[in-house]
Amino acid sequence: MIEMSGLNDLLTNEPGKKLFLLGNEAIARGAIEAGVRVATTYPGTPSSEVGNVLSELAKKAGLYFQFSVNEKVAIEVAYSSAISGLRSFVFMKHVGLNVAADPLMSIAYTGVRAGLVVMSADDPSMFSSQNEQDNRNYSEIAHIPLIEPSNSQEAKDFLRYAFEISEMEHIPVLFRTTTRVSHQRGMVELGDIEKKDAVGFFKSDPANFVALPVNSMGLKEKLVKKMERLKTVSEGSKLNRIETYGSGKYGIITSGEAYNVMMDTVSKYGLDVSVLKLGFTNPLPEEMISKFLREHGNVIVVEELDPFLETRVRMIAQMHSIGTKIFGKLDGYFTFSHEYNPDTVAGSLSRIMGFDTRQVSVEIDATALPPRPPVLCPGCPHRATYYAVKRAVKMSNIKNPVYSSDIGCYSLGVYDPYNEADVMIEMGSSIGVGGGFSNATDQKVISFIGDSTFFHSGIPGIINAVHNASNVILIVMDNRTTAMTGQQSNPGMNVNGMGDPAPEVSIEAIVRAIGVQYVKTVDPYDLKSTLLAVSGALRENGVSVIVARRECAMIRDDRMRSKKEWKTFQVNPEKCKLCMNCVEKFSCPAIFIEGGKIEIDQNICDGCGVCAEPYVCPFKAIEEVQTA
Amino acid sequence: MRTNIIIAGVGGQGVVTAGLLLSEAATIRGMHVVMSEIHGLAQRGGSVSVDVRIGEVYGSIIGNGDADLIIGFEPIETMRAIARASNKTRVIMNSEKITPVSLSMHDKEYPNNAILTGMADKSIEIREINAVALAKKAGSYKSVNTVIIGAAIGLGILPFEREDMLSALKNRFSGKLYDINRDALEYGMEGILANQSASSS
Ligand code: SF4
Ligand code: SF4
Repeated sequence: MIEMSGLNDLLTNEPGKKLFLLGNEAIARGAIEAGVRVATTYPGTPSSEVGNVLSELAKKAGLYFQFSVNEKVAIEVAYSSAISGLRSFVFMKHVGLNVAADPLMSIAYTGVRAGLVVMSADDPSMFSSQNEQDNRNYSEIAHIPLIEPSNSQEAKDFLRYAFEISEMEHIPVLFRTTTRVSHQRGMVELGDIEKKDAVGFFKSDPANFVALPVNSMGLKEKLVKKMERLKTVSEGSKLNRIETYGSGKYGIITSGEAYNVMMDTVSKYGLDVSVLKLGFTNPLPEEMISKFLREHGNVIVVEELDPFLETRVRMIAQMHSIGTKIFGKLDGYFTFSHEYNPDTVAGSLSRIMGFDTRQVSVEIDATALPPRPPVLCPGCPHRATYYAVKRAVKMSNIKNPVYSSDIGCYSLGVYDPYNEADVMIEMGSSIGVGGGFSNATDQKVISFIGDSTFFHSGIPGIINAVHNASNVILIVMDNRTTAMTGQQSNPGMNVNGMGDPAPEVSIEAIVRAIGVQYVKTVDPYDLKSTLLAVSGALRENGVSVIVARRECAMIRDDRMRSKKEWKTFQVNPEKCKLCMNCVEKFSCPAIFIEGGKIEIDQNICDGCGVCAEPYVCPFKAIEEVQTA
Repeated sequence: MRTNIIIAGVGGQGVVTAGLLLSEAATIRGMHVVMSEIHGLAQRGGSVSVDVRIGEVYGSIIGNGDADLIIGFEPIETMRAIARASNKTRVIMNSEKITPVSLSMHDKEYPNNAILTGMADKSIEIREINAVALAKKAGSYKSVNTVIIGAAIGLGILPFEREDMLSALKNRFSGKLYDINRDALEYGMEGILANQSASSS
């Protein structure tokens, strides 16, 4: 859980005050300081806390905040606000920018009036993502400026600067963090809060804002000129600076989190380096870099993921005929994959600079330890759904079913003992991919999607499957929230990002309107009804939809606790026949074996009672704990 | 001067809160602190670890062998973190066992401590503490992380004092909750000094 105490501190207008902030909290503060009037997002880790904070503070900060249906819409909403004269901020995780890439490419052409900053939180090492794409590349494709902070203080300060750049050339700016920057906590000195207009006005100007070919021709040329002019700004920017350590023999060019791990290595081994630390990375300060190259015989480029800086530094050397030896990924010293840590960076630097790394680790074979991957929480409704679906498939004698899964907590259904995810690619893919299987094979296809993902990008896949007569069973795992990223609201809920009452959009009405005939809503805690609904769907042709609706266990917990209605379950050893079904097939993390007996951990049992149902425990050995 | 602390446990045990408390106590002392905090999928009942770095540091990641202190909230997770230790690293291990589903699912039980602590080479000293019992004695299971922090302070290797942690607790808790946590801190400090090391027993 995110620590929410002291959130109101983020609103204080006391320049100079220091707070210990998560990178994402610092970014939220940066938006408040910059006088942002409209902020939009679709939640995605590692960007999620920015939205959680702004949603909480929106009214007090006098800004409009929206959890948009997806990233494409989020950027569209922020864009129209920015061209109506309001500073606007849109943020998302890296893969979200793929969804928003279509508008991004064209709003770069039309430009903006008030500042528009687009934040991409990249995820090197994929702590909670399906890939680790390097979104700095988007700044090149879209021809827009790129800003990269390294820590919480810079995250806040650079965001304000990004708004200045955006307004200087009326261009959207890409602000790129990574997991370690967004999820690093550090001291932040606050600045003043800018006062901006609260209500915008859109002055029509079709030649600039209607991206018809006839207009876009000229807009493209304007865009190239804007970026040309920004080169000079990057040249003199305080975000690009040189630091010297020791004799400064080797030159190092770096940005973002790579700067931190590199500097920890420099200070640990006392290396003689001079560091060109870049925060404004597109357009690059070409003169500054060529001068730096000329001053050093050897220059090392240290950056995570793609050789974004390295290829450009090599290009600059070539264009200026500089013979400096350049080291990086392209010559194999650094890897293209995963985040860096002090050990990998020390390893690479030592091979180039020739110093000894001290390796003093304790010998232990950590691979021999029992693994503990993330699991569905005790009481999670998804566990019950997966259990029921698996039983129904078995009872219906279905051979070789294909399970097409999607992005959310329920992706964890891939693990033993459920194994109900054969394919999982991106947000909303379960239905499109499922429809494809139905064309390509004779296998039964079961697709899983969460409520938030359904709204985000699942609906076109359903329309496609219905219209093209695919055979797919779609299970909408509606846990009444966007759970994985920290329980944000979504269009299926009766509250919006401002905390205001909002109309609930009905999943059942949508799928019926698309033409799905077999639509059933079940409570997954009721294993029998869920099992019957799935068995029924397995006998159907075409697209059938089961909405398995039960709120996320975390939300239920909070409510039960506040109502003091907490209960737990325990195993009655007299009745337990050690059939092992509850541990082997249902596998709630609260149930374990000790001294040859089945036990339930009273500290983590959530009291859902699903394990007590005869479908899990046929001997009625699991009973509610009776408190006196 | 640098102090590197790894806090390891299971999602939901209060590992992040412990990191925040340590950070806060250090900032009360006016020290520079950087802390890593991983959110998202990685949190859900899986292994969690937080790195707290105090002093002259840049990034939030502690390199292999660079940890001064490992605070393990759970035996298996303590051992997992020890893979990042050196023989100079001090280790505190809470004895509360949380059986990973990967064991139960295959009808297996939690390994006993001797097997676990025997996995690391003998050069490393592991100090065990029954923080759950002490937390309950203080008045709430939830004060487990305060007990463990008390144990860390008791070892005398943190760059701040008990009073700084009391101020940090005061910022976070009030009334009866503060009293519980104040007691939990004391019990942790006394407890670690009374206990023998688990690896040498
Ligand atoms: S957060 Fe909610 S939906 Fe996610 S695993 Fe836990 S109970 Fe299930
Ligand atoms: S009641 Fe059973 S299934 Fe539900 S959380 Fe407790 S042990 Fe797990």
